[in-house]
Amino acid sequence: MKGAELVLKVLQQHGVDTVFGYPGGAIMPIYDALYQSSIKHYLCRHEQGGAFSAIGYARASGKVGVCMATSGPGATNLITSLADAMLDSVPVVAITGQVSQAVMGSDAFQEVDVLGLSLAVTKHSFMVRSVDELAATLNEAFTIAQAGRPGPVLVDIPKDVQLADIDAELQAISKSNSNIQTSLANAAAARKLIAAAKKPVAYIGGGVHMADAMNQLQQFLASNPMPSVTTLKGMGSVAKDNEHYLGMLGMHGTQAANLAVQQCDLLICLGARFDDRVTGNLQKFAPLAKVIHVDIDPAEINKVRFAQVALLGDMKQILPAISTQNNCSDWLTHCAQLKQQYGWRYDHPGERIYAPLLLKQLSERMPDNSVVACDVGQHQMWVAQHMRFSSPRNHLSSGGLGTMGFGLPAAIGAKLARPQDTVITVTGDGSFMMNVQELATIKRFRLPVKIVVIDNQRLGMVKQWQQLFFNERYSETDLSDNPDFVALAAAFAIPGHCITRKDEVTDALEAMFTWPGPYLLHVCIDDKDNVWPLVPPGAANEEMITEAKA
Amino acid sequence: MNHVLNITANNTPAVVERLLQVTRYRGYQLTGLEMKPRSDRSVAITLSVSGDKPIHLLTSQLHKLYDVVQLELAGSELAVLSA
Repeated sequence: MKGAELVLKVLQQHGVDTVFGYPGGAIMPIYDALYQSSIKHYLCRHEQGGAFSAIGYARASGKVGVCMATSGPGATNLITSLADAMLDSVPVVAITGQVSQAVMGSDAFQEVDVLGLSLAVTKHSFMVRSVDELAATLNEAFTIAQAGRPGPVLVDIPKDVQLADIDAELQAISKSNSNIQTSLANAAAARKLIAAAKKPVAYIGGGVHMADAMNQLQQFLASNPMPSVTTLKGMGSVAKDNEHYLGMLGMHGTQAANLAVQQCDLLICLGARFDDRVTGNLQKFAPLAKVIHVDIDPAEINKVRFAQVALLGDMKQILPAISTQNNCSDWLTHCAQLKQQYGWRYDHPGERIYAPLLLKQLSERMPDNSVVACDVGQHQMWVAQHMRFSSPRNHLSSGGLGTMGFGLPAAIGAKLARPQDTVITVTGDGSFMMNVQELATIKRFRLPVKIVVIDNQRLGMVKQWQQLFFNERYSETDLSDNPDFVALAAAFAIPGHCITRKDEVTDALEAMFTWPGPYLLHVCIDDKDNVWPLVPPGAANEEMITEAKA
Repeated sequence: MNHVLNITANNTPAVVERLLQVTRYRGYQLTGLEMKPRSDRSVAITLSVSGDKPIHLLTSQLHKLYDVVQLELAGSELAVLSA
């Protein structure tokens, strides 16, 4: 057998039946092996799109996403997506072809130092020097991608290694990633803080669902009733019927969530990392709070905010261990009042479509287990504010890197991971154009992905900042010469419809959901609509600007 | 502040680059580097660095590197950071 065939056999050993990629010279032996393989390859139209599909597949399913690219430009096109997976802790294995070792280091055609490029954007990376190392290296890649805090791993395979003969029997693979070291030594100290707290808040990040600790979280919040807030990646972690959930915190968080965190005396951080979009001015963040920090990554403890008590390891074991009795009924009443006082309002005047209301309607109309893949910008924050999710695996949003162009290919990956579920991408007119070529992937595989383009003919979030903080100098944010998005979709055999008025929304959503195939809904909104509330740069989270104050 | 880190790592082709990339990105300056390959396919590396931030912000990131087997901060009780 050739090295190229061995690659696919090892992938199959790891349960991989779906890969995303794009062929090219240095990876042709692997593509030749794919020709007769039972692994299904989905041809993307740009390697960045293929890797985002692998991320969408991984995030929607919890499995490892696999993508492939050739050397040189194929590999460099993966870099943005790998960085995205790195910052959002997504288990991805990227396989790149490399020029033959005989010419490596000679600036050969389509040669670039992929191992060198990978250092800053992967959890780990390998260059396979011999076919004898190939199976073990790929096994290691799958282990590393999933172990502890997940992340992307790149395996660079020179063409001569792909073409080399090997007759070795495949070794049985071990599932070593379940071996997580957990220290409960500080559990008693955590329980003491929770029992003594008068104003506790649970601050929930993506680490909870990635640890498969959703049930333990609901039990913790039931045993220790307290207000909870989530990060962008943690959305959907708290059960929809939990009355003490206050929404997302941070720059565009709810006022209730931000005020509760600013006023709390104990912040229980569960699988989150005090990102600057969460904390605002760090010196003024949760100024009265002691912190309990639970994470699987030791490097996150005391990185940004000092924790009085830290617990490292498996969230599933830690949450029951820190559960205790707490009585904070006055605080719960106060936070309920905040939630009531600062609830969303949808009574936007005029006939034009108000995106928050549209997204609320979309959220209420979509089937319960639908996946929503967002792009990046104003629409992304509106989705986070106005849609509800029953699981973080149903809300795919580029959190750490904030990568425009994420949504459409991530939705493709999600649809292939969960063909039985409705998959919607909510995108903006700026973001959509960043990976619009993936419409061809939807066309080729007849993927019934629903595409909602929220179009304000602007790079809306940048425009909003220019309006508020750069004296209304709208530098390079005008997109009023956008293409006709419905005609563009039609070019890929995807039907669509354009709406401009509120009274068209209900029927348009119905038409989109009842159409059996892919569908594009082009939603024109007012370019003056902005995302509120907003914590301005350098401010504390209680200093939110609201629409009324703007 | 100056710090000396004694590191045992897998002797892989990119291991020194990985250490230096993390050191630079996390905001520390390299002031010295020594390395000695061992017979067991590991390498002993001594990194001297300076930086204004607390050194645990660097040691915790270096320790996360897959190729780093052991990391000690010379003259300190801060040793290996793990669960």
